[in-house]
Amino acid sequence: MPLKLLRISQKKKLRGEKAMANIGRRGFVKGATASALAFTVGGAEVIMSAGQARAKGVPFRLLDAHQGETLEALGETLVPQAREAGIAHFIDHQISVPPQESLLQARIFNVRPPFADFYRAAIKAVDSGSNKMFGRDFTQLPAVDQRQLVDSMRQNKIEGWTGPPGALVYAVLRADAVDVVYGTMEGYEALGIPYMAHIPPEKRW
Amino acid sequence: MTNEKVDVVIVGAGASGSVYASVLAKAGKKVVLLEAGPDWELSDLISSEIWGRRIKPAGAPILLEGKNPMGYAAQAGWGVGGAALHYYANFPRLLPTDFRVKSEHNRAHDWPISYEDVAPFYDKVAREIGVSGDAKAEQRWRPAGENYPMPPMKTFRNGDIFLKGFEATGIPMVPAPVGMNSVEFNGRPACLYDGWCHVGCPIGALGNPQITYLGDARKAGAEVRALCTVTRVLTNQAGTRITGVEYYDGKHEKQIQEASVVVLAAWSAQNPRLLLNSATDKHAQGLSNASGLVGKFMMSHHVASTWAMFDEDVQNHLGTIAVQYMSYEHYPKTSYQGVFGSSFIVAGFALKTTDLAISRPDLFGPVLADYMKRAARNLAGIKAFGEEQPNIENRVELTSAKDEFGMPLGKLIHSFDENAVALWNANLEMGLKVAKASGAKEAWSARGAIPTSHLLGGTIMGTSATNSVVNSYGQSHEIPNLWIAGPGIFPTEGASNPTYTIFALSQRGAERMASQWGTLAN
Repeated sequence: MPLKLLRISQKKKLRGEKAMANIGRRGFVKGATASALAFTVGGAEVIMSAGQARAKGVPFRLLDAHQGETLEALGETLVPQAREAGIAHFIDHQISVPPQESLLQARIFNVRPPFADFYRAAIKAVDSGSNKMFGRDFTQLPAVDQRQLVDSMRQNKIEGWTGPPGALVYAVLRADAVDVVYGTMEGYEALGIPYMAHIPPEKRW
Repeated sequence: MTNEKVDVVIVGAGASGSVYASVLAKAGKKVVLLEAGPDWELSDLISSEIWGRRIKPAGAPILLEGKNPMGYAAQAGWGVGGAALHYYANFPRLLPTDFRVKSEHNRAHDWPISYEDVAPFYDKVAREIGVSGDAKAEQRWRPAGENYPMPPMKTFRNGDIFLKGFEATGIPMVPAPVGMNSVEFNGRPACLYDGWCHVGCPIGALGNPQITYLGDARKAGAEVRALCTVTRVLTNQAGTRITGVEYYDGKHEKQIQEASVVVLAAWSAQNPRLLLNSATDKHAQGLSNASGLVGKFMMSHHVASTWAMFDEDVQNHLGTIAVQYMSYEHYPKTSYQGVFGSSFIVAGFALKTTDLAISRPDLFGPVLADYMKRAARNLAGIKAFGEEQPNIENRVELTSAKDEFGMPLGKLIHSFDENAVALWNANLEMGLKVAKASGAKEAWSARGAIPTSHLLGGTIMGTSATNSVVNSYGQSHEIPNLWIAGPGIFPTEGASNPTYTIFALSQRGAERMASQWGTLAN
């Protein structure tokens, strides 16, 4: 099922003084339709957060089931509640759009597009490391072993590691997990931080 | 397709390109800006760190190498407004000593101009786009100038809490000058202090190009062509004059734009890439490169961050991403014993959840979750920007890899030398002392990879084609109708944030171009 990133309505675009006059102050946002994640479900386009997409069982576009489960397990190890917040759906969506539309922190970490290549290589490296350390894929490890592997990966201390550097995999996936758990309006609320948007993200994303 | 000839083509619609467009369009010139990214508008600036990544670079990548690779994507711009669409609008100046490092210390370079040559343009920029601050308070470190048009910004507990510690360590702090509105200015509203500056300010309280120079340029008739990627600067057969640029439009169709003058304002890494890729039989090393210095002397600031956890709620969600307080106390080049270079100290800035998480990058799992709860109330930070000396080995080169238009990718090689690392360490030690003297319950240095901030050099100014690429106005020594704008023309970097100086130098260069137009146009 195709996933699509909605762009801001061109009709609603504002420029210069007109924009200032209309936007003016916080909480007085007129006409600014923020982008959101749009999932196509049963032929209808539905805007929802990654967590909602996970809860509704929206199929992945690019990831296979094992890759999705591994990203969820890694995300949950890095930041509690990342699984439920839809880290795998978030990443799957973001690697399926053109790199210039992607919202991944991979951009900031100077990861070279296509970003899907980085995540596939990272998952492969994590499973390879997991099998070397514990004889099983990452998803099959108990939480204590998952934490040990992530801690070793963070410090580039897994022998025979292949693929993107472990510390980079740790930093990028941790950033993704922070995004879905703490980067949303709900995440701010959970920490008791006033969000104070000028132009709020649609669907609180 | 060849387009009708215009007076000026500007490559890049960021801070420096916008100033040139405004000055020249107001002078009656027909101006076209070619911008590789989208035409962002204020309504695109969603208050979200996640959505804010849309305005970060997404074009052809700059490949990064060296011991301390530049944090390129976090710093660069993409689209109309450039990096100044997501900048922090900290507006400190360079100081007189920055312009004569060679004369005073027999290191690095002298600028071909002095602080006094730039000072009137600092004042002019402040009047044009609005600066809040306390000029009198700054004058303990710099020559007097005009007062800023607005009083200082509000301060918050996340900044005020460090004042005791700075005082105890002998570091005077004064209100930081920022390109933001502490009060209504020129019909633009005052800041709301919600800390979303870095994803773009949509209300007009922060002076981004869209509502300042670029807005003025558009009103004066300048044309902005977004999603247009320039691949070559074109010369006449003799190689004596620029004739225009080759670019690919949003439909990936090749276009030629002829112009009397070309201004390269595509930031410090892309300008050298373009010059090197525009080599001809008359300019075999690339344009304006008789000195062999195109792409050389790339510089960045190292950032020493100190984090402090306090018992009290420091309200770190309030404020701007710019800073509340600053100090030049460690700016003299020999301020720290045995280490050379300037340091610029700042404190007091709003934090978002990404910042909270980055402040302890080693934490994950339930420990991180607990930390986030505490940091949301009690975390505040101090930063010191440090100067690195120009090193010819820090450079931009072309590679064999190509972008989608067949243009070679640029490679940016950057390493800090031992002196820069020592200065970074000295600033970290200073920060810890301040944080502890401020009563922090816990204080720690952000160690690990040395963060880089800002990118300068690569097309440095100087006195002749033997020691530099351009003159003090940004005009090529070799091809008079080729100009270069932005931080790439800085021959040394100082330690303060560069954008105010970029605006001032661009204003100076653009006014010079307009006044000398008769000698440039053909």
